[in-house]
Amino acid sequence: MRATPRRFIYAILLTLGLGWIFLSVDKNNASHPRTITAPQTGFLAPDFSLQTTSGATIRLSDLRGRAALINLWATWCPPCRAEMPAIEKIYNEYKDQGFIVLAINMTYQDKISDIPPFIQKYNLTFPILLDETAVIGSAYQLRSLPSSFFITREGIINEVVIGGPMAEVLLRTRVEALLK
Amino acid sequence: MIEIFRALFAPPRDLILLIAALWIGLAFAEKRSEQYGISKERLNNLVFYSLFGYLIGGRALFALANYSAFVGSPLSLFSLNIDLFDSFGGIVTGILVGIVYGKRQNLSFWNALDALTPISAFLAIGIHLSHLAAGTAFGAPTSLPWGIDLWSATRHPTQIYALIASLVIFGLIWFRKPELFPGALFLYFTALSAGAHLFLEAFRGDSALILDGFRRAQIVAWLTLAATLIAYDRLLTHKGENE
Repeated sequence: MRATPRRFIYAILLTLGLGWIFLSVDKNNASHPRTITAPQTGFLAPDFSLQTTSGATIRLSDLRGRAALINLWATWCPPCRAEMPAIEKIYNEYKDQGFIVLAINMTYQDKISDIPPFIQKYNLTFPILLDETAVIGSAYQLRSLPSSFFITREGIINEVVIGGPMAEVLLRTRVEALLK
Repeated sequence: MIEIFRALFAPPRDLILLIAALWIGLAFAEKRSEQYGISKERLNNLVFYSLFGYLIGGRALFALANYSAFVGSPLSLFSLNIDLFDSFGGIVTGILVGIVYGKRQNLSFWNALDALTPISAFLAIGIHLSHLAAGTAFGAPTSLPWGIDLWSATRHPTQIYALIASLVIFGLIWFRKPELFPGALFLYFTALSAGAHLFLEAFRGDSALILDGFRRAQIVAWLTLAATLIAYDRLLTHKGENE
């Protein structure tokens, strides 16, 4: 093909592309998922209300204004065990800056009697919540343990980490980003 | 069907799809590398060194950007956590390592890009499959009958749109007639990919927006398309002048 008609076709293609860009403008931010609840980055974290091992009740939506790490775990899961000391360390370092850890035990697939010795062994001081009816496993579409959800102060999921163990430095970078 | 696929390759198992795509793409590229004056061994070395650069560069640049976090635990540089990674930095480093290797081996720049194109095309297929498995790169809500239920809504199956586009693009580049000039295959692939991205981004539900609602990825795709068409035109004109 000669240069002139070829360049004319290129110009038409690029003009059509520009037109499509203008047609695709999302002025009202309608495609943005922030107002919808789902266990995925960019969405509102599914709300829940669960009992802790000490009998208190914690509701996620009551914690707005604080950055949170929701960690789904079980006592029999080796990577869950391996990452607990790092989570505890980071929790202690950042809790005064508005960071909280909600470690939700998948009690429906764990032994409730194994939890207190586990807490004692790792000296865990953050709240341990119990999911006895798989309500969290379902709401957060649990596919493997551990699964971790980093939640902003506004309740939006900032990052999802499936599997583990998470290194201390990974926790630190993500928590510092949440607290900025 | 989609649910079974998603359960089977849920993260972090979706990485298997990427590795498989890279491997299959390399096998395709090996079949044609001699056409571009690059032996299979050199092609493999080029891919291996670039991949090595990608991995090392991605981790090193992530560590540099988060220097304070790594100071306390420098051994974390060798952590197996794939999330401790700067993807953009990794890609840039991988490309630089590939260029250095190519220079040292006196590989023609455009011929090397042509030889690598089947790998890029197959990797794109793997990336879209990985998105489908992970539920990432999801679509905007829709009432169309082929919408899929994902993240609390019926959505455009943008991962499937992109997968179909990448399969068509792979077919187009694989069954294309012999090249007009060195670099033509790569530029053809880049233009098709940018065009597909520009079109399909409109259906995404997770677009990064700039300047009062413009989708950033569409702007980048349009600029890539424009640059590719200009480069194609220049190389074609240059070839005509030489003849």
